[in-house]
Amino acid sequence: MHHARRTTATLAAAVAAGTLALAGCAGPGTAAADDSVVLDYWLWDANQLPAYQRCADEFERQNPDLQVRISQYGWNDYWRKLTAGFVAGAGPDVFTDHLTQYPGFAQRGLLLDLNDLEATADVDYGGFQEGLADLWVGQEGSQYGMPKDFDTVALFYDTNVVTDAGLTPEDLADLDWNPDNGGSFEKVIAHLTVDENGVRGDEEGFDPGNVAVYGLASNGSGGMSGQTTWSWLAGTTGWTFTDKDVWGTEYHFDDPRVQKSLEWLFGLVDKGYMAPYEEVGTEPNPQQALGSGRAALSANGSWMLGTYANLEGVDLGIAPPPSGPVGHPVSMYNGLADSISAQTPDPEEAARWVAFLGSDDCQQLVGEAGVVLPARPAGTEAAVEAFRDRGLDAAVFTDMVEKKQTLFFPVTEQFGAIDALMTPMMDEIYIGDRDVSTLTEVNDQINGLLK
Amino acid sequence: MTETTTAPAAPTTVPASDAAPAAPPRRRRRRVTPGRVLAWAVMILILLVTLFPFYWMLRTALSSNGALYASSTSLLPVDFSWGGFERVFGLQSTEEAIAQGGSGASIDFWLYLRNSVVVATVVTACQVFFSAMAAYAFSRLRWRWRDAVFAVFLLSLMVPVIFTLLPNFVLVRELGLIDTLLGIMLPGLFMTPFAIFFLRQFFMNVSTEVEEAALIDGASKVRVFFSIIIPMSVGPIATIAILTYIGSWNDYFWPLMVSYTDDSRVLTVALGNFNAQTPQTGPDWAGLMAATLVAALPMILLFVVFARRIVNSIGFSGIK
Amino acid sequence: MAAPSAPPAPPVRVGRVGRRDDTRLALLFILPASIGLVVFYFWPLVRGIWLSFTSWDLLSPAQFVGLDNYRAMVADPVFWNAVRVTLLYVVINIGLQTVVALVIAVLMQRLSRSTLLRSLVLAPYLVSNVVAALVFLWILDFQLGIGNQVLEWAGLERIGFFTSEAWAIPTIAMVNVWRHMGYTALLIFAGLQAIPPTMYEAARVDGASEVRTFFGITLPLLRPILGLVLIISVIGSFQVFDTVAVTTNGGPVDASRVLQLYIYDKAFGQFDFGYASALSVAMLLILVVVTFFQYRMTRAGQTDLN
Repeated sequence: MHHARRTTATLAAAVAAGTLALAGCAGPGTAAADDSVVLDYWLWDANQLPAYQRCADEFERQNPDLQVRISQYGWNDYWRKLTAGFVAGAGPDVFTDHLTQYPGFAQRGLLLDLNDLEATADVDYGGFQEGLADLWVGQEGSQYGMPKDFDTVALFYDTNVVTDAGLTPEDLADLDWNPDNGGSFEKVIAHLTVDENGVRGDEEGFDPGNVAVYGLASNGSGGMSGQTTWSWLAGTTGWTFTDKDVWGTEYHFDDPRVQKSLEWLFGLVDKGYMAPYEEVGTEPNPQQALGSGRAALSANGSWMLGTYANLEGVDLGIAPPPSGPVGHPVSMYNGLADSISAQTPDPEEAARWVAFLGSDDCQQLVGEAGVVLPARPAGTEAAVEAFRDRGLDAAVFTDMVEKKQTLFFPVTEQFGAIDALMTPMMDEIYIGDRDVSTLTEVNDQINGLLK
Repeated sequence: MTETTTAPAAPTTVPASDAAPAAPPRRRRRRVTPGRVLAWAVMILILLVTLFPFYWMLRTALSSNGALYASSTSLLPVDFSWGGFERVFGLQSTEEAIAQGGSGASIDFWLYLRNSVVVATVVTACQVFFSAMAAYAFSRLRWRWRDAVFAVFLLSLMVPVIFTLLPNFVLVRELGLIDTLLGIMLPGLFMTPFAIFFLRQFFMNVSTEVEEAALIDGASKVRVFFSIIIPMSVGPIATIAILTYIGSWNDYFWPLMVSYTDDSRVLTVALGNFNAQTPQTGPDWAGLMAATLVAALPMILLFVVFARRIVNSIGFSGIK
Repeated sequence: MAAPSAPPAPPVRVGRVGRRDDTRLALLFILPASIGLVVFYFWPLVRGIWLSFTSWDLLSPAQFVGLDNYRAMVADPVFWNAVRVTLLYVVINIGLQTVVALVIAVLMQRLSRSTLLRSLVLAPYLVSNVVAALVFLWILDFQLGIGNQVLEWAGLERIGFFTSEAWAIPTIAMVNVWRHMGYTALLIFAGLQAIPPTMYEAARVDGASEVRTFFGITLPLLRPILGLVLIISVIGSFQVFDTVAVTTNGGPVDASRVLQLYIYDKAFGQFDFGYASALSVAMLLILVVVTFFQYRMTRAGQTDLN
């Protein structure tokens, strides 16, 4: 039977060919051919990769005995690969870290204290944008991350849409808000909302059930931090997440200020000024809403500046969030940092790379790429310049930091558990099936987790 | 995949309209019955449902990212552009890619393609072969613990994925196979319970008469395996080979874990660049759709090639 | 067993006495597969079961806690919700998928022998779970998706396919049916091919109708393959993850929080691997029971042909 021989022969050939091919693909190993030490650095933002590659090139030039190998993995894969890497001892030397993850890593002894390493022991953390470095100090005073960049939240809009409504950018720059009647902010939102018949939200005969353009784009329910969703509302009532800036032990979701802010925000749905959950789901796409003309104002973070700028047909404008009862806008203040893995075989060399990452040199290179706002003021300047060259005004984002109109991202233990608890509940509140007052009980549950 | 040829030993070809699956289509004109019309209607509906999303992918692949949101229900490409495909093949510079909403990571397309081919081919060849051997043991050989051991293999079908991920990764690490193609191939190289199960069901159905004839002639059971069972199961074997190939080709998470550099990066992992890279930004839609279509192409080709080649002579009363 | 007067036959390699005992040969034949089984399935399984009795955060040594995880699990409303949601999903998914796949397989066999047709039908399987989910997320978007656009033109209400509690699971089930129906159809088709035409001839000669042939001959002879297909599909369906993670991530409000999602969240999101292992063991047990019944009911272990 020909088939037998042919089948077996094919299989055998395939195996042979494969093995031969394999012989040519032996793994590289982490040591370089010469004696230089190779440092593995991981990040997730592909847009920043070219800038960091330039940093690496400059670093290698200044340190000929070191090589930096940058790997980029998308956000979704990044943390799982990192975790698997930690488990098997196959992780990076240095990696971009996030405020929600680092407490967990620090707790398990996976991060090195930068104060213990020669190259980073004497860094002046005051030279970064104010407060950023403090976000990365552990409970016993260890410095777990070298600040990298920061972000704040503001309002994006399409100038064409706004002028068509008879408003000017100046009008939008100076809004006030309060949780009781929404202030001038709600009036503007109402005015920008248009129903299917062309009737505006503040005119007679407005039909909230048939809206064509929503005044405010939906960011979903915001989960436990509401960074772009409601933190800029609750924050401007003077509310804070926890009892301390960092490492708080008590959350304040039972505070009526945050509850009323949430109530106001999700109340916009009934008034027809914001899209219902049904339309946007668990992962809304506000830039899509703005780009398609479905929404007029979109609150989002400075890291999205480039994405919004790419929307065709949109003449992008940026306004600060409205001023609340405290008298000025408040934005959540978040910052990424670079951490060193405790499993690295080359801690001192890794520290040299991290020190360089936190230096003016590198941060200016990153700023010039015009993607994010680096943590060093020199870098921030470079970024604002780069944005200005593209016709984008990033001053709104940096002004709030300068004027200290910020609210720290909540850094506490048990982020995963708290988030898993809060997110479905916040979704429920958004949908309208749950009352904001139930957050008081939830708050007790969360505080229980922190004990 | 497997063509049915006419059973050579089929006696008279009775005209009765739609009963025989293996009757020669040449000489008769099929009568158009309501049953046939309905059948074709259903088939066409199924094809439409199957293919519409592909059309959508093509249309999106040929659009520009920035314009997609503005006209999202348009059936034609929005702001036509080859950008998506260019990014897939690594033909755009970083600046261009980022400007068009792509990720700017470099893609060495042909290298990744080669890696995928090597991994999928070797895994398929070994896995199918070893699984066929085991399937034979579970279906045509008689031995005391046959059913018990088969039950154990069946049990492994149900092992939760989360149990195997980390131990396998640690093992690959300890064997020094991180960032190698062999490391990627290793877990699938020996068998999958599915392949064994599948082939065993078919081997069970192979007629015993031919086998007994061979045994009486003095052939060993090993001979029977190679000369009778395998040739008579070319259809199922080809099926499982193709499915294994596809599964290995499309595997994403495990190769992602194992590979650290381009040396061992396979196509699916490389094309993961088109997913959302940062939280809250969307994926590079044009690039992602283009990548999907391009990644599926080799397998469609493979399928077409093998489907024609492998003639399944099911009507085996022919002792050929 | 000696050949009577024929020239000496090539030695039979199997056990000399007891001509039907192929044990040694069988062990040889299952050897490579067994290596794979033990190293890549069995050992992780045993280790996983052990971990379910510990508290382990992946990065420090595991601590034995006995039945604590199981006790917590039984009292965990999220767990029971996950089981309920997953069961609902499996029933819808498998029910729809098997019927559709059967129809496709029969059509493929009877209507047309075109290879092109078969390639097209298999095409959805070539798309990864994640991409398929993304494409449907777009197509079925409440506001911007063409699916809802069509509904509106037809005069119907828009449906929040992924955003309403009633539709989330059915929609995800249908997305996976789309992806797997060709693949399942291919498996069933292979089974159809294995039915000797002589059976159909005999039926025809006896004057049986299409339908009668189908239920009386095709279906029973398909049993081993159908049994396989059902078992495999159900096992895969229970472990649905990618599609849910990409589209609804468990929402709206736990309506699609399937078991595997909960397990992953506990393991990688909250570093509670001991508990995640216990949840996985629970899933394993459910699968074992379900498979056992399926195996028995479809009598997938026997064939009617020999």
